[in-house]
Amino acid sequence: MTDATAELKVTAASDIQVDTEALDASIKEFAGPNGDYYCKAFHKIHDSTGFIPTTFNVAAALLGPLWSASRGIWGLFWGFLILEIIAWVQIGRGAWGNPGAEFYERAATQQARADEFLERAAAATTQEDVDRFTQLADNIGRAAQNTLARADAAQSEAMGIMMTGLILLLVLKLVQGLYANQVYEKQYSRWRIEPENVESGRSQRNTILGAVLTVAIGPLIVYKFTSTADLPMLDAFPEEQASELILGEDGGRLFSVLASWMEDKIDAAAISGGDVFDGIVATVRGVLDALTIALIDTPWPVVMLVICVVAWRAAGPRVAIFTAAALAYIALLGYWDLAMETVALVGAAVILCVVIGIPLGIWFGKSKRAYNFAEPVLDLMQTLPAFVYLIPIIAFFGTGNPPGILATIIFGMPPVIRLTALGMRGVPESIKEAAVAFGASKWQLLKDVEIPLALPSIMTGVNQTILMCLSMVVIISLIGGGGLGKEILEALQYAAKGPGLLGGFAILFVAMVMDRIVQGAFRRADQK
Amino acid sequence: MQDTVVKLDGVWKIFGAQADDAMKAVLSEGLSKPQVLERFGCVVGVQDANFEVARGEIFCIMGLSGSGKSTLVRHVNRLIEPTAGKIEIMGQDVSAISANELRRIRAQQIGMVFQHMALMPHRSVRDNVAYPLEIRKISKSKRWAVSDHALGLVDLTGYEDRLPRELSGGMQQRVGIARALASDPEILLMDEPFSALDPLIRLQLQDQFKALVAQLQKTTLFITHDLDEAIRIGHRIAIMKDGVIVQIGTPEEIVMNPADDYVREFVQGISKLKLVKAHSIMEPLESFSGSVDGAPRADHGADLDQLIDLAVGTEQPVVITDGGADIGVVTKPRLLRGIQGGKDD
Repeated sequence: MTDATAELKVTAASDIQVDTEALDASIKEFAGPNGDYYCKAFHKIHDSTGFIPTTFNVAAALLGPLWSASRGIWGLFWGFLILEIIAWVQIGRGAWGNPGAEFYERAATQQARADEFLERAAAATTQEDVDRFTQLADNIGRAAQNTLARADAAQSEAMGIMMTGLILLLVLKLVQGLYANQVYEKQYSRWRIEPENVESGRSQRNTILGAVLTVAIGPLIVYKFTSTADLPMLDAFPEEQASELILGEDGGRLFSVLASWMEDKIDAAAISGGDVFDGIVATVRGVLDALTIALIDTPWPVVMLVICVVAWRAAGPRVAIFTAAALAYIALLGYWDLAMETVALVGAAVILCVVIGIPLGIWFGKSKRAYNFAEPVLDLMQTLPAFVYLIPIIAFFGTGNPPGILATIIFGMPPVIRLTALGMRGVPESIKEAAVAFGASKWQLLKDVEIPLALPSIMTGVNQTILMCLSMVVIISLIGGGGLGKEILEALQYAAKGPGLLGGFAILFVAMVMDRIVQGAFRRADQK
Repeated sequence: MQDTVVKLDGVWKIFGAQADDAMKAVLSEGLSKPQVLERFGCVVGVQDANFEVARGEIFCIMGLSGSGKSTLVRHVNRLIEPTAGKIEIMGQDVSAISANELRRIRAQQIGMVFQHMALMPHRSVRDNVAYPLEIRKISKSKRWAVSDHALGLVDLTGYEDRLPRELSGGMQQRVGIARALASDPEILLMDEPFSALDPLIRLQLQDQFKALVAQLQKTTLFITHDLDEAIRIGHRIAIMKDGVIVQIGTPEEIVMNPADDYVREFVQGISKLKLVKAHSIMEPLESFSGSVDGAPRADHGADLDQLIDLAVGTEQPVVITDGGADIGVVTKPRLLRGIQGGKDD
């Protein structure tokens, strides 16, 4: 061995001294004010090995959430702010709240009625009336006594409630005092890793923010839950007054003004853009009609046979048998035409989604900027409940099957766009570079490399889109869409359990058959 | 035939949004790399590269990762546009040609092999190899024939209809080489083709490749981070460091006369036995005072390995000849120093 190895000093792990100097400097830099205290505290935490906290932070115990806010430990701040408010509400209820107030009030009214009956008894002329009123007064008087007793009981619980609150507060303070340094040390460890993103020191901004939050939240809640007096301002947002403030005395409600303004605008847009909207509807109708001819106008044995054979070729014999059974169910229960209309609706929506979605996806996959721009729109399309955009769709496109398809497209298109874009971005740069290096043009690159390599992802997207479109068939019947969805909607309106369930199964079978066939076909394509 | 096929003249590549401004500043003020980074936020990828590669020559570009060698070679087929400078292929300025012409040159004149093979996973081996021809819209029957021939050159006959993923790494890279050869290009660009392979396969492929190129007379730019590989394959070697070509020379020149400490450090571990030739370590006959009668003779092009074989059997020095005439001698001390790398006594 060479000399270099011999010179290498080897120290046993047990002999290694902790270099506190560098650590202290770092802790002080992190903690800011009271650096020395936190140095000691953190060292104690570092030295201890058990679960039981070895330090007690008096400031954290006394100031509670204010301390955590000033140190920028917001998780601790919110947790203990809520818990301390709960404790304070208990204390408030016990100290100045009036838990028996409700009962006292009721007892008083009962007593008053009892007195009233007694008076009427005194004023009564016949013995019968006297007996009756006295009897009533007695009964009510007894009830009043009972209520009074309950009021006293509630009142005597006040002390208990207050004690519970006090004990809770004490425990919370204790827990904060004991665990504050532990939590703060965790924050310090995180701060060491990313000093830019983890708050350190004691900043004025945080202290003020914490104080403002505490002052704004605490007293209002404690007041609301402990006081018997009502403050209408706190119960409901003063929307009327706000409208008045914005629109003036007789301006009406903000809501109605905005709503009527929007209605005017939408009506105007629907009229001015009428040709465009009619054109869109005509296109959609064209696709739908073609599918309708293929599925409904063609003799049913042909359609049934073709579907079964397609299922067999695409997904194998098992799916073909299932498909035949499902079709038999649909046909036997008289759902054939409706089911085919549903398939035509979904098929038209899927075709349009794919025709529009794949080129868009390719574009978004290639252009990061376009994708950044489109992503919020796609999110919106998927998260917006369908009912929200059904209304504008009626306004612009009317009712019936084509507008239903448009609503389906809005919901169903995002997956195929997203997954196409994802697939395009996932194509390895090296393979693209190789194609370019061998002289491929942009079109050749797209056709020979990018689309084939993105295909699995694109196919997943198409499958997702089919499922999403299927889930819309019932909803679009709300705006006049036909097919099985309409059956379900009618059954729902009359709470017709039998027809509803039978129709539901028909939809389920349509969905399962389409999904099985498409998935089977894609799996085969994948294996190639 | 010693005509120049590839010529780089003052090629610079600066990456970044303000590359052109940075380039101007570099030329007028002579900024250094860190200064460019500080002032323009631009990275200098290649700095003033000049070299010529002759027909049939294997020109190795050796450097560590990040030294700009891959960037440099991508200028030849303009996968990367130079910020300044001129690149000529067979006398034609590539930066001046149209996009169509560029694609034609890429498809016909330049074959490229990549470190990570970059084969298309959905195409058969044959279709991968035929792809450059497909781009040129050559008929299927023709390109299948060419592709099968190219696969034959790399000993892959019988694997035509397999998918790339069914082949081992070394075989995949041979497919890559076949693809580069398929359109019978003038120039081969090899971007660390053997780096991802295990050492034994690498050696085999290096030999196979060297023989193939010698046979086909392809002008080759061969990138590697392995000096052993560069020496084994290259006729000449350019050593790059931080975007600058530090030294260009034959393997022997580089090993015997490293241009600076950086190159010297690289060269240290290299075995000189097969590299260093007799003429670079011999002393002239005139200055040798001893007797050379009966001493073994060797040609001036003999390498150290051969000289050792001769020197072992005799007490006398080895006499070096040129065309039958004695021109110098190699004594034992000189031979030993030569093995060490030409250290002076």
